[in-house]
Amino acid sequence: MAAFPYSDAAAIAALNGQAEAILSVFAARGYARAEPSVLQPADIFLDRSGEEIRRRTFTLTELSGRELCLRPDLTIPICKQVADSCPRLPARICYNGLVFRHQPNQPQRPTQFYQAGVELLGLEDRAAGDREILTIAVEALRAAGLEDFTIKIGDLALFGALVDALDVPSQWRARLKRHFWRVGYFEALLSRLTSGAASDQQRLLGSLGGLTASESRAAIEGLMDMVADAPQGARTREEIVERLMEQAADAAALRLDPKIAHVITSLLAISGNAEAGIAEIRKLTAGAGIALDAPLKAMEQRLAALAGLGVAPSQVSFVARFGRNMEYYTGFVFELWAQDAEGPVQIAGGGRYDSLLETLGAPKPISAVGVAIRTERLLAARRAQDDKAGDAP
Amino acid sequence: MTALTLAIPSKGRLKEDCDAYFADAGARLKQRAGARGYRATLNGFGDIDVMLLSASEIAQSLLAGDVHLGITGEDLLREAAPELEGRVHLVRPLGFGFANVVVAVPQYWIDVSTMADLDDVCAAFAHRHRRRLRIATKYVQLTRGFFARMGISDYRIVESAGATEGAPAAGTAEAIVDITTTGATLDANGLKQLEDGTILESQAQLAASLAADWSENARRAAENLLGRLHARARARSSQIMRVRLNGQAERILATLAQTADAGVLSRPTDENGEYSLLVPRARLMDAIASLRAAGCEAPATTQDADYVFDTANPLYAALAEKLP
Repeated sequence: MAAFPYSDAAAIAALNGQAEAILSVFAARGYARAEPSVLQPADIFLDRSGEEIRRRTFTLTELSGRELCLRPDLTIPICKQVADSCPRLPARICYNGLVFRHQPNQPQRPTQFYQAGVELLGLEDRAAGDREILTIAVEALRAAGLEDFTIKIGDLALFGALVDALDVPSQWRARLKRHFWRVGYFEALLSRLTSGAASDQQRLLGSLGGLTASESRAAIEGLMDMVADAPQGARTREEIVERLMEQAADAAALRLDPKIAHVITSLLAISGNAEAGIAEIRKLTAGAGIALDAPLKAMEQRLAALAGLGVAPSQVSFVARFGRNMEYYTGFVFELWAQDAEGPVQIAGGGRYDSLLETLGAPKPISAVGVAIRTERLLAARRAQDDKAGDAP
Repeated sequence: MTALTLAIPSKGRLKEDCDAYFADAGARLKQRAGARGYRATLNGFGDIDVMLLSASEIAQSLLAGDVHLGITGEDLLREAAPELEGRVHLVRPLGFGFANVVVAVPQYWIDVSTMADLDDVCAAFAHRHRRRLRIATKYVQLTRGFFARMGISDYRIVESAGATEGAPAAGTAEAIVDITTTGATLDANGLKQLEDGTILESQAQLAASLAADWSENARRAAENLLGRLHARARARSSQIMRVRLNGQAERILATLAQTADAGVLSRPTDENGEYSLLVPRARLMDAIASLRAAGCEAPATTQDADYVFDTANPLYAALAEKLP
């Protein structure tokens, strides 16, 4: 993927024309344009996004010593603004602007590129929100003249609901949910859980397992008194005691039942035609006596919405393992793909990030769903599509 | 006119160990007068120019191709370039400058002993404290790579220029990644290593830059130096054994090769003369046992060699294969 030719007047005109078309789709749906500044305080990105985004964020230091960064995306600044100002909800906000990212070890990828997108914040009816965002994404691509695209969808909530329905300790649940999208790492985690590989501290927990809650607490506090002089590392005594108490309660079940592990791996292997995938999940979970009705119904509603937009079933795939490797997604996720002159290319990505606003300081939870379109790639894909049509006999 | 530049650490324990290492191979370092102490020569290797730099500058100079060879810590090399492949060739670990790069957390965290625990705690911390758990380190690249492999993402690196181990007590970070040899400094600061938190077992490495200008003369100088270092290393790890092998000599030699990794240095001109063998020090008693078991009752004597040169120069051969 070569960098966009920013000095080519015709290319710039084409990109601007496409942006106008996309922005009028957003405006027609009631989205108000926002222009967050290019220079952002670094900490909101570095504290909220984790190292993966941090290593790709350009940072700089003001003369005063304040750390700034070039925005690596527009979602976080827009959500931060909403979290701070508490406007009337739902809020519908759109944008079109440059973002900046380091491309470590991939010098061929551009370090700056345009994103056009929308954020739908605080709409209580989540099914309606998912439908609205899918609709806008498809309309925007069509407004830019692209018809040949595919949609890949997934839902972190599906896997979350599966894990919640399993009889496993709560910390394992959290671990499984956190890592299900990491191929390889997740399999290693599962096999550790099924084999019950023990650490010193698990042996400690094993010995606490036979005690009553108050006896365990006394034993744990005794251990903590022995290290009272060590730095606390910002964690309270209660925080540590609580975690150990919880683990001690789970100590009896230090192994994951291989049958459960099998259900997990079978579900995560599902990938392909969306309707068939959903049917397979129903069969798999019914066999294991697990009910996932709510997230499956939500997924079916999204598929119905796409069908209503005239997107053919062959254009839509469901991937159980798809979680997007951005760290703030919490549920429904999707990507739009097309072909440019060199091969398949991701044109847009979006989904739900219902906990982001609260972590950015919003006084209460605010639901959030949105999509960002890589407009330079979209333009390249549309041109490839047109060239292909021109070649046809 | 010098053909090859060798960089060695300019101060501290690493410098002393390097001095001793070269002196042991008969190539004493001599700081050049008038050059304010940052240039030196290597006795017996007139075509090698020695530069005295800081250990981290050496890592950078190797990557940039400013020097041909250099001695520095593997931790610094891997921090400067997570992918050394194709940029720097590790010629030989030197057996000094040992230090492990480890993840350490407050001893107060009695609920944390593995990276999986740290992963749980990072996620819970982000949720509970509304910010990421901070890891203080000067090993930013190594930390990122290791945490990514361990599947941990809910953390933030705080770059530390020095005294990293004090960061948790000072409240500027919750945990650290740092080097340790005995663990005493960590312990003194109320920290503990995680069981599976060793990122790198580092030691001083003789390394070659693949980006440097390797002229014919530079190659020849490297071949000489590496040949000498290898010959000295072989001599240190082996002894010469002299013994008479009356009758069935070939069968006994074959057995010795198998049981004690012993090689023949020279054969006697007449039947009653002594064979001269090269035996790894650690296998000496295996060799004696094999001799006796084979019915050889002649006395065996051993002695040290200064160098063991033969036609093979494996250190240089491995480097030459990597050079463009």
